[in-house]
Amino acid sequence: MNTDAPAIHVADISKRYGRTLALDGISFDVPRNQIFALLGPNGAGKTTLMHILCTILAPDSGTAGIVGFDVVRQPLEARSRLGIVFQEPSLDDRLTARENLDLHGLVFGVPQPLRKQRIAEVLELVELTEWADKPARSFSSGMKRRLEIARALIHDSEVMLLDEPTAGLDAQSRNRMWDYVRRLQAERQLTVLVTTHYIEEVETCDQVCIIDHGKVLAIDTPSALKHRYGQQVLRCMPRTEADREAILSRFPDRLVEERDGEIALRVDDAFVEMFLDQFGNHVRSLSIDVPSLETVFLSLTGREMRDRGADTRERTLAFGRIGGEHTR
Amino acid sequence: MSLENPPVAFNPVRATYARRPWLLIQLGGLYGLWLREVKRAARDRGQLIGGASRPILWVLILGIGLNPYFRGEIYGEATFVVPFTYLQFIFPAVVALNVMYTSVQSAVSVIWDREFGFLREVLVSPLSRTTVLLGKVLGGTTVAVLHGCLVLILARFAAVPLTLVDALKAIGLMAILAFALTSLGVVIANRIRTFEGFGVFSNAVILPLYFTSSSIFPLDPALSQAQTRVTYPDWLVTIVRLNPLTYAVDALRGVLIHYNQFVPWMGIAVMVGAAIVLFAIALYDFHRA
Repeated sequence: MNTDAPAIHVADISKRYGRTLALDGISFDVPRNQIFALLGPNGAGKTTLMHILCTILAPDSGTAGIVGFDVVRQPLEARSRLGIVFQEPSLDDRLTARENLDLHGLVFGVPQPLRKQRIAEVLELVELTEWADKPARSFSSGMKRRLEIARALIHDSEVMLLDEPTAGLDAQSRNRMWDYVRRLQAERQLTVLVTTHYIEEVETCDQVCIIDHGKVLAIDTPSALKHRYGQQVLRCMPRTEADREAILSRFPDRLVEERDGEIALRVDDAFVEMFLDQFGNHVRSLSIDVPSLETVFLSLTGREMRDRGADTRERTLAFGRIGGEHTR
Repeated sequence: MSLENPPVAFNPVRATYARRPWLLIQLGGLYGLWLREVKRAARDRGQLIGGASRPILWVLILGIGLNPYFRGEIYGEATFVVPFTYLQFIFPAVVALNVMYTSVQSAVSVIWDREFGFLREVLVSPLSRTTVLLGKVLGGTTVAVLHGCLVLILARFAAVPLTLVDALKAIGLMAILAFALTSLGVVIANRIRTFEGFGVFSNAVILPLYFTSSSIFPLDPALSQAQTRVTYPDWLVTIVRLNPLTYAVDALRGVLIHYNQFVPWMGIAVMVGAAIVLFAIALYDFHRA
């Protein structure tokens, strides 16, 4: 079988929604047994790409494959090898954890004795064994996410797609989530594609692909990215308006951004010394960001992660959460 | 990170099983989805209370209350004693009502499945969309038939002599009706983007259908076509005759109190036709969405 095909193959994928180009000629390969992170701000096209990879959205052009199976022409083959955790929980919260897993096993055609064995294994793995017969609605969001990861493993998936697995979780649950993902990847020889907009989370991934406005900006290991694009950034708050003018006019090509009176400049060690000599008395505060993925991102996109408001869908979900209707 | 780790040579967990043939996966999935619907309904206390209180209200309160006023002599000189009481007359219609509420209600949960992501989970499974829809509709049908049976329990109070054969026939009819109505519910749900509440469905779809299906007032069998149109306004007679549910209620009446307004096969024909057409529309929507 397709043993030499990459776990995930994306070639020149484009997708347009009306007048916005959500994905603009995206290409990359994910080798097997890697944790591959897709990093980008909200609205960068990560989820669109995720939906194409999990076969529920057809690209306008380009091809994508999961372990060699084309997501458009062989969706069933691709699906049976994919384990997917969507951004929003997709559990049936009126069923228990065990029932959710069993339904998933049935739906993916896992035969009975094996199903039972797998359910016990994955519940153990995500430490939910004691909660197996509790309804999913009583779970915290971290537990729900873990249950979903467990569910994605029931059918022996080879490639795991995690869409923002840590969004909406507290810091502790986020760390725990990553521990699970790393352990799984190591123990099961899984390939994991994970999207996130938390930069600090991708430091330990094998490869990071930074995308924005539907384009791949950079793709490499975290250390290589830092080495290549990382920047020391000097942030200072000038004392007076005149100082601010002076700094800006002196280093126009080093300016990264200017916000709330604070000036951020691209710098290196020599520059910092020179700057302190000349402007040391003219700034109220000064800090230096050492190369991090944060600054890689900043220098690639020219800005920090952005946010957006709630859409109709989120409003409906909120309606459901406050009690909604008795049909729920 | 794992690049530094030596590759794990022994993989204790993934001993990939032989993948089942397509048909077997579909059947297994169908069973799973059906079971889910039934389990969900069994755990929804609100739906259960509604399903039990509705027939009590209609049969015991409305039926018994109106029973004395329903006599053949109302129609002037054409004295005609109908062979059943009002309670008996309304009883099959309440069965239909309970089936209708439950069917549409379980179909409307399609909206929640969509909004809360569960639908997506099955759409990325190896199940075909036809299987997914069929599982949903069959699940809703089963629950609706059970709710219909809740009404049958009250048969004694409505003085409906219920034999086992009649009950089984009625269950068969209820199943066809429930299938058609669940499909209708899915068709409506597919056309609604955000959830407005079940009250809208209840008042805009279920009750109008119910009231115009000659369920709570008869188009008197003793009157000819022309006489009917004299007794009742023209538009009402037309609506009642156009409403497919009229024929379903009539079929149930035929089985439960052995009285038909129309030819007996008509009800079954209309219901089967509606079931096929509505399921086909639901399927079409579902494949497109």
